[in-house]
Amino acid sequence: MSLAHDPFGPADHIEVEVLIIGSGAGGAPTAALLAEAGFEVLIVEEGAWVDQGAVKPFSLEQMARQYRSGGVTVALGRPAVPYTEGQCAGGGTEVNSGLYKRPPHEVLEAWRADYRIADLDLDEIDTISDEVERDLSVSTVPGPTTEASRALARGAEALGWRNGEIPRWMAYPERGDALSGRRQSMTVTYLPRAVRAGARLATEVRVDRLEIVDGTARAALVTRSGGRSGRISFRHVFVCGGAIQTPALLQRSGLRRHIGASLAVHPTVKLAAKFRDEVNVDDDVPVHQVTEFFPYSSFGGSASQAGLVALALNDNWRAFSRQIIDWRRMSVYYAAIRSEGRGRVVAVPGLRDPVVTYRLTRNDRALLGASLGRLALAMLAAGAEEVFPSFRDAPIVRRAADVARLESGFRADRASVMTVHLCSTVPLGEDPNRCGADSHGRIHGTTNVRVNDASLLPTAPGVNPQATVMAIAIRNARRFIEETPVG
Amino acid sequence: MPTGSAHRLVAPYADALLARDLPALDPTRRAETVDFVALRVSTLPTPMLVGVSIVAWAFDLLLRLGSRRTFISLSTRVPIPFVSEYPRLIRSLAFAYVWERWPDTRPDGGRAPVVP
Repeated sequence: MSLAHDPFGPADHIEVEVLIIGSGAGGAPTAALLAEAGFEVLIVEEGAWVDQGAVKPFSLEQMARQYRSGGVTVALGRPAVPYTEGQCAGGGTEVNSGLYKRPPHEVLEAWRADYRIADLDLDEIDTISDEVERDLSVSTVPGPTTEASRALARGAEALGWRNGEIPRWMAYPERGDALSGRRQSMTVTYLPRAVRAGARLATEVRVDRLEIVDGTARAALVTRSGGRSGRISFRHVFVCGGAIQTPALLQRSGLRRHIGASLAVHPTVKLAAKFRDEVNVDDDVPVHQVTEFFPYSSFGGSASQAGLVALALNDNWRAFSRQIIDWRRMSVYYAAIRSEGRGRVVAVPGLRDPVVTYRLTRNDRALLGASLGRLALAMLAAGAEEVFPSFRDAPIVRRAADVARLESGFRADRASVMTVHLCSTVPLGEDPNRCGADSHGRIHGTTNVRVNDASLLPTAPGVNPQATVMAIAIRNARRFIEETPVG
Repeated sequence: MPTGSAHRLVAPYADALLARDLPALDPTRRAETVDFVALRVSTLPTPMLVGVSIVAWAFDLLLRLGSRRTFISLSTRVPIPFVSEYPRLIRSLAFAYVWERWPDTRPDGGRAPVVP
């Protein structure tokens, strides 16, 4: 049931103490902590409230209702890199895979040193992670996982590669299987907690820009459902719109220094593997991952309903199209890499949405090809009869010897490279040459504009970033509470 | 962009591309798929929409001027940066829709035989 309501009533101007823009992995915990500390909090979310279970996961209907632009968003470059952003109450937590991985210590240590992040205490991050894991019921599947998931583990085991089940923020019934979990996303965890503590949530409210005078933001100019405009005055603002929308809003508001210039992602390439028996699960993703090549690359499973299998075969449709009749025996897998490349987010005056670009380096391209080859090898070792890599003119891989042809024929420009992990457009830290925000998320040169989402992560962490985003957001929210008097 | 405008812009090419790639997809299904593609194009982010509109306009013009069959074939094979993303976008949206909506569609777009 929706927790949202219209805070404006008949008015077109309201005043709040703290405005939080965005209700995902950064915004929702920030709202809960601040409301519980006694602050008057309003959360505004551009998307709508969609009850869990109202739409089928990974379906086109979900794309239409819970993703920005129906899931059709692209970073320009060669190749163009499609990405997705959640746009609904709860943000990306409502639609992602739900896989949870704590922020790796070596990554945090590198950030602390390279970006001069003050007070980034690893023990504190671990303590926060413990708390998040309790709040989100982070757990492995108590019963059997899916066959498509076990295939990854089986292939890795056969090759002697490290692998394992990645826990998820899911609540499972006792001995429940992989499909019986209930997603512990923001709409069932931190958003209800925030509302219980007195926060208000307004959905379908887009913030067009912030009014900033002499480094202090005074108000947000918004567009409400039905196209009505509005104005929200505040004392403090947290921008938590994600790594694309956050820098775009800051730029529209006149803040540009080290904002949007360092987009980092985990580029992925994919393949479809065909097995002897039925493996396809059309509304869930595998929970196993192959981590042998971490931090450079990791392999996992993707959503694989028939339409997405057709997409995986699309790049080489003339040669692969006959396979689509066997989609029940097929599942889609990906190889994700830690990229050296960077991209940009640029708000263009007069355009509602920003221009997003991403450039893969030569090393990235080589690593994508090598990773796709290794993934194909793992699928053969798992018992796949045939493997169909997603790039133009790709060979069908039936035996280990075919993997060399795959790797030599791979060109990133011909492949379906995509990503779902977007970070680093407002890196935090005290290094004046590359940080958009200070060590706790306040935009340099402002008194009261804070960012608290994936934008702050200085690089893509090499693992699913939601746990890292939440840990950093909670750390920053607590610092704000310590430093700021209520009222 | 209103869906109607997007439909006028992308429908001729999307329809011709589907007719070639999935020749047995019946006209009702093809029309429904083209409607879906147009709807998704109408909600593209503005910078993408501007680029796609320009390419779609040029494709529409070329479709009218020359041989439909030759142009469709060339448009999916010539790797011109950005321009070649347009056929890929149309085809990706269309295929995702066709096989999600009718999962047992044959590779040529035909309906799966009904099992008694």
